[in-house]
Amino acid sequence: MTEAARAEGTIYDLGYQRYKGQRLGRGNAIRTLFGYSFRTAFGLGRGERAKLAPFAIVLFCFMPAVVRVGVAMATGQVALINYAQHLEFTAFWLALYAASQAPELIVTDRQFGTLALYLSRPLRATDYMVAKFCALTAALLILTLGPQLFLFSGKLLVAEELFPAFRAEWRTLLPIAGGSIGASLLFASIGLALSSLASKRNYANAAVIGFFLLTSAIVAMFYSITSGDLRRYVVLAHPVWVMNGFVNWLFDVEARRRSVVGRADLPGEYYLYVILGVCAIAMTALFLQYRNRDE
Amino acid sequence: MLSAQSLTKRYGSTTALDSFTVELAPGIIGLVGANGAGKSTFLRILLGLTRPTSGTVSVLGHDVQQHAMEVRALVGYLPEHDCLPPEVSGTDFVTHIGQISGLPFAAARERAAESLRHVGLHEERYRLIGSYSTGMKQRVKLAQAIVHDPRLLLLDEPTNGLDPEGRDEMLALVERTGREFGIAIIVTSHLLGEIERVCDFLVAIESGALQYAGPVSAFTQKTERLAVEIDDDVPAFAERLRAAGLDVDGSGRMLHVTVREGVYDTVRDIAAELGAPLARMELTRQRLEDLFRAGAGGFKS
Repeated sequence: MTEAARAEGTIYDLGYQRYKGQRLGRGNAIRTLFGYSFRTAFGLGRGERAKLAPFAIVLFCFMPAVVRVGVAMATGQVALINYAQHLEFTAFWLALYAASQAPELIVTDRQFGTLALYLSRPLRATDYMVAKFCALTAALLILTLGPQLFLFSGKLLVAEELFPAFRAEWRTLLPIAGGSIGASLLFASIGLALSSLASKRNYANAAVIGFFLLTSAIVAMFYSITSGDLRRYVVLAHPVWVMNGFVNWLFDVEARRRSVVGRADLPGEYYLYVILGVCAIAMTALFLQYRNRDE
Repeated sequence: MLSAQSLTKRYGSTTALDSFTVELAPGIIGLVGANGAGKSTFLRILLGLTRPTSGTVSVLGHDVQQHAMEVRALVGYLPEHDCLPPEVSGTDFVTHIGQISGLPFAAARERAAESLRHVGLHEERYRLIGSYSTGMKQRVKLAQAIVHDPRLLLLDEPTNGLDPEGRDEMLALVERTGREFGIAIIVTSHLLGEIERVCDFLVAIESGALQYAGPVSAFTQKTERLAVEIDDDVPAFAERLRAAGLDVDGSGRMLHVTVREGVYDTVRDIAAELGAPLARMELTRQRLEDLFRAGAGGFKS
């Protein structure tokens, strides 16, 4: 090495360095994949285009909450802030988010062959699936829980005194959290289970959004041509009505009499069972899809 | 380092591996065979990704079926097909794979930068993988395979899809990784020439069965052929060569003769004797495909 080269700041090639540090196991691999997938669900760490859809949808999900808090602040009417209706207002965006991001999480790994890399590492196919499921559910929680927490803080700020208002209000955090978790599980399950069947991202996008639109349309049609008890149970086949019924049950609100869910007047537990059932079916479908992946 | 005992894998009625038994010591090992010969299946079994129908295999002292996770932590894998997400930067992706392989974040970040430098990616590593050329992608695939400092590398057709120059560079990288970094390597290829260039040990596989396992040099001797071109009376010439105890085959004016001690002299003498116009003598190689087609079982060690 000449003095001149040294003065120019030549980078020395130290050769190959062996790694002698700590090696973490499966738990670390699952956590890493969860974190990475959660970021992917919002297009973080990716190009600009990947951020467009998720960020726009987050915006639309927060909008109703922001408007309510704004109006409540301007008019001083705290009663305008209503949690039970919030998820219903954003149901379309939740479905769109599941359709746009569930394929991003699992279909692209297959489409681009990355799954083979994951499975050649200390990570089981079921670990992979669990990490992806948790990541999408957590991402959906940002869309469901986030705006409601915003409503909650808004309500406290509009109130004259912060602490008494919090004492009176904190219990609503439980149904807020419960409803958000239920809705997130429901949308994540449907999104991932349908995506796991598709070979390309675009097909999966179409399949998921198509599923939500078609079930809604078909169930609504059945609802209009049936009557009596059958009609009440048809409600349980509509993803958004199930979510509404579940949320109403948690908040213990008498569903508005004229609404579909109100008229069905089903026991609240039924909605919970449907959500858990959908979750179980989706998990089973994913397990079956990934278990035999490489035999 | 690696021991496979009568490994068999059947997919329905097709047999991908047939009682495959082999013992391998560390080094750069070439696994050759035509497409569909069972090379990829063998690698997938080594990673515990595919379960053998029967037989056992141990890698780095671990039984693969019982301790797949331990094996995978010590092995780096470069798959044959595409495996890179286009919307992530090279450095982010290799870091991520490093973490998945068991490195803490800071170490993964550092080693990702190092691995990418080793494979010759510098500033480009911050760009999205989708904008890379095939050669660059292939380098990223190698970088992700070495990021966690594996003891064994499994490279499935690393030169696939590369132009001649890219092939040379990739082979040089493979050789350097094996010799300078001291990582044991199993590299597959359907091109014998590539394997001969970088490997010291060769395993040849055909229709799932082991054809040859031994040093590359010995295999080279077996596959060398002397091409003899004559302008006249080829059958008579061939007859004389056979009479002299040489293996001869060929068509038209071209004869292929087994290479062994004194073969040049023999050919020259016969040509002189018959007065045959000898146009050309050239040392050539049989292609791998021809080799197996010609002498099924004839090249067993």
